[in-house]
Amino acid sequence: MAQNTCPVQSTLQYLSERIDSGVLTDPRVRRICESIRMLVEEISLGEAGDGHMPAIDELMAEFETINPNETAVKTRQALNQAFTEHREMFVSHIESRNCPTHDCGVIAPSPCQMACPAGIDVPTYLALIAEGKDAEAIAVIREDNPLPWVCGLVCTRPCEMMCVRGRIDTPISIKFLKAFAAERALSDRQYKNPEPAPPNGKKVCVVGAGPGGLSCAYYLALMGYAVNVIESLPFAGGMLMVGIPRYRLPREVIDREVAMIEDLGVKISFNTRFGMDVTYEQMIEQGTDAFFIAIGAHKAWDMGIKGETDFPRVIEAIAFLKNVALGDRHAPGKRVVIIGGGNVAIDAARTSLRLGAEKVTIAYRRSREQMPADIEEVEQAEEEGIEFAFLTIPTEIRGDGDVITGLACNKAELIAKKGTDRLAPVPILGKDFVIPADAVISAIGQYVDDSGMTAFDKIRWTRRGTIEVNHASMETSMPGVFAAGDAVSGPATVIEAIGGGKRAADAIHRYLNHIPQPRMPKIPVRRHKRPMIEMTASEKMRLTRPSMSMLNVDRRRTTFQQVELGYDEEAVRKEARRCLRCDVCRRCGKCVEVCRDKMGIDALHLGYLDFDHPVKTDFRLTSEKCITCGACAANCENNAMVIEERDGKRMLKLCGTILNEQDIQHCEACGAKLPSAQYMAFISDKTADVTKKSDQRLLCNHCQRKLSARIHVSTRPVKNQ
Amino acid sequence: MVFRRGSRVEVFQASSDEAWEPYMNDFIGAHGVVTDPDTSINDPDDLIEVSLQGKGTHRLPQDCLRVLDDRQGEPS
Ligand SMILES: Cc1cc2nc3c(=O)[nH]c(=O)nc-3n(C[C@H](O)[C@H](O)[C@H](O)COP(=O)(O)OP(=O)(O)OC[C@H]3O[C@@H](n4cnc5c(N)ncnc54)[C@H](O)[C@@H]3O)c2cc1C
Ligand code: SF4
Ligand code: SF4
Repeated sequence: MAQNTCPVQSTLQYLSERIDSGVLTDPRVRRICESIRMLVEEISLGEAGDGHMPAIDELMAEFETINPNETAVKTRQALNQAFTEHREMFVSHIESRNCPTHDCGVIAPSPCQMACPAGIDVPTYLALIAEGKDAEAIAVIREDNPLPWVCGLVCTRPCEMMCVRGRIDTPISIKFLKAFAAERALSDRQYKNPEPAPPNGKKVCVVGAGPGGLSCAYYLALMGYAVNVIESLPFAGGMLMVGIPRYRLPREVIDREVAMIEDLGVKISFNTRFGMDVTYEQMIEQGTDAFFIAIGAHKAWDMGIKGETDFPRVIEAIAFLKNVALGDRHAPGKRVVIIGGGNVAIDAARTSLRLGAEKVTIAYRRSREQMPADIEEVEQAEEEGIEFAFLTIPTEIRGDGDVITGLACNKAELIAKKGTDRLAPVPILGKDFVIPADAVISAIGQYVDDSGMTAFDKIRWTRRGTIEVNHASMETSMPGVFAAGDAVSGPATVIEAIGGGKRAADAIHRYLNHIPQPRMPKIPVRRHKRPMIEMTASEKMRLTRPSMSMLNVDRRRTTFQQVELGYDEEAVRKEARRCLRCDVCRRCGKCVEVCRDKMGIDALHLGYLDFDHPVKTDFRLTSEKCITCGACAANCENNAMVIEERDGKRMLKLCGTILNEQDIQHCEACGAKLPSAQYMAFISDKTADVTKKSDQRLLCNHCQRKLSARIHVSTRPVKNQ
Repeated sequence: MVFRRGSRVEVFQASSDEAWEPYMNDFIGAHGVVTDPDTSINDPDDLIEVSLQGKGTHRLPQDCLRVLDDRQGEPS
């Protein structure tokens, strides 16, 4: 059977070939194969249920009892191999109604959903937001992510990077629509927890109440586990609370969503450090059945430069931001230099500015375009007056007594190192300078603080100092101990920690119920399929991503008030309507091919279909050439492209967008429906040299034949034999 | 090679890094977009977040990736 394709699809093809070619001559073998084919087809179409695999197993067992000819033996072996080697894939098709390879087109998930590390069903919740159903949208999001409001404000939005609409103009503002829906659902008192399963008597200890720990706790609580979260800080949220500054993520937002999780019965023990205030042995004594570690990466790297340890005002960004989060409102200095080029550097700089620093400079070793920080964050920082010193390598912190006077630096150039095309910053001889400063903040990265983890002595650590896990199950090498988040990946993102926490909850449940763990990470689950929203092609193309209203710069420089003020309701509903519904149209391009190559019309201008080479897309142009023949719709497996007849019109619609509508014509003689005028003109043009153009009468084939038969009879009467 | 947010990349080989797991062999040949480069120090040893077309979003070692272009996901 074919490699690197979906095993469900290749099994289906294999069986069809076997059955259709007639090589299965034994009637019992044929019956078994036909039954299996039907079941596999249903799996591929996403229509299968829990009974499908057991039914296939039964049929295979029956197959074993037959003593067939050589061809049948080969077939049996091939099927046996497919169902054993790829069982997980069959099961995942049934459970998730998804095909990761897109071979089973009907159930392929959308690119935005695939891109989300937590696998949120984006098109479904966008459709709900477009319909004004915010609370329902939040319920869909929380099936995969218990912190929609938090993520709506700070997610790094990989979904938007993969959004197909981005290949036409700009990606859907997926992140912010989530925040809007969460806020609206809360204010409507409609943001509710799902009903948890009854308590199952098992206990899980979660270490760390960051997004990873909170997500794992949430999904375990929903499954009926008693969850005790151990948190060393006086509040929950982890880096959400002590890393990300309040002007990006108000504390209110974190507190509200954490409270929802606590409402499910999750107990959080604050001010408690695992390995110190509470031990592994104590937790085992209390009857803990499994552990989940999500302690994040909270230790800062040293810069390794002279003077680093000599001055009290050399501060690590992480410690600085944490103190500010804990209520410290003192400016780190008047002239602050931040060293680093990532988002943490930007957060530290903007926070320093808000605390009253007069001049804030970010010194980064590489060029602006190589900065890993989010471009929008960089732009906002620049607006607020933060300066950037690029290609700047710090060499020494200078001072007088214990007061810093400046940061000595070398100007750098980017040079490719031997054997690699990676450009590395190299100091230019003689080009050194001093940036005047009285405080230096280092933001060059974090690593995992493993103190307190000694009791987990069978856990393996990677050479990066992170916890080694099997990524499909988040299991560590110590039985019953699972881990996720920054402690596993190194400094990463909120949504990855959430995705890992959710996966770990599932794995802990399997572990405690003796269910085997999956071999590869689960693919996202499509939660629902919402109806399409109808609109004209010109509206679909005209809709544009709204711009974000921002707090004015004066307030931004002095307060921690939220900078992004959000969209208004009308903008939100419109933005959600801009979605292309890639959960339905999977961009196989068959419609374009049929229209262009088979019909010779080339009416579909869908240049966004190609991921690597998108060209211009314009839905509005279809109506200029399309003849509503319906060839594209007839070839669309997913019913994304449909021909619909309504109010005397024949419409061609792609995921709800009306690409073309033409008047339905009727036969003058019998009233039967006819193709559109454009279609008839197209046909008569094509056949002009073989058939004489008919007179101008509108007749269906039947009436046309009757008429021509009469003409035939009257012009050349048949002689009586 | 420096990977930036939005760089289009290809998984062109298996990685020699310990973070590479057997199921990732299925990723070879896949195209995708860098969604989160190493967030502070541009260290070739760091894992970076890549969203692979049809294969989900994963943190991968950089030695299995090559940049196709740096169009930042814009349509041409
Ligand atoms: C300044 C900054 C800005 C960021 N901005 C963004 C952003 O905009 N978007 C984004 O997606 N990501 C951002 N991140 C990254 C993001 O915050 C992290 O990836 C995410 O919080 C990791 O979640 P986690 O649950 O693994 O760990 P954490 O959030 O770090 O939580 C770990 C928790 O464990 C607790 N803990 C640790 N050790 C113990 C112990 N022994 N006993 C008890 N408790 C313990 C800690 O107190 C903490 O509460 C940012 C990070 C920083 C530092
Ligand atoms: S257009 Fe909609 S469904 Fe398609 S990728 Fe973007 S958000 Fe997802
Ligand atoms: S209905 Fe229109 S777009 Fe579809 S194949 Fe026919 S002419 Fe082309």
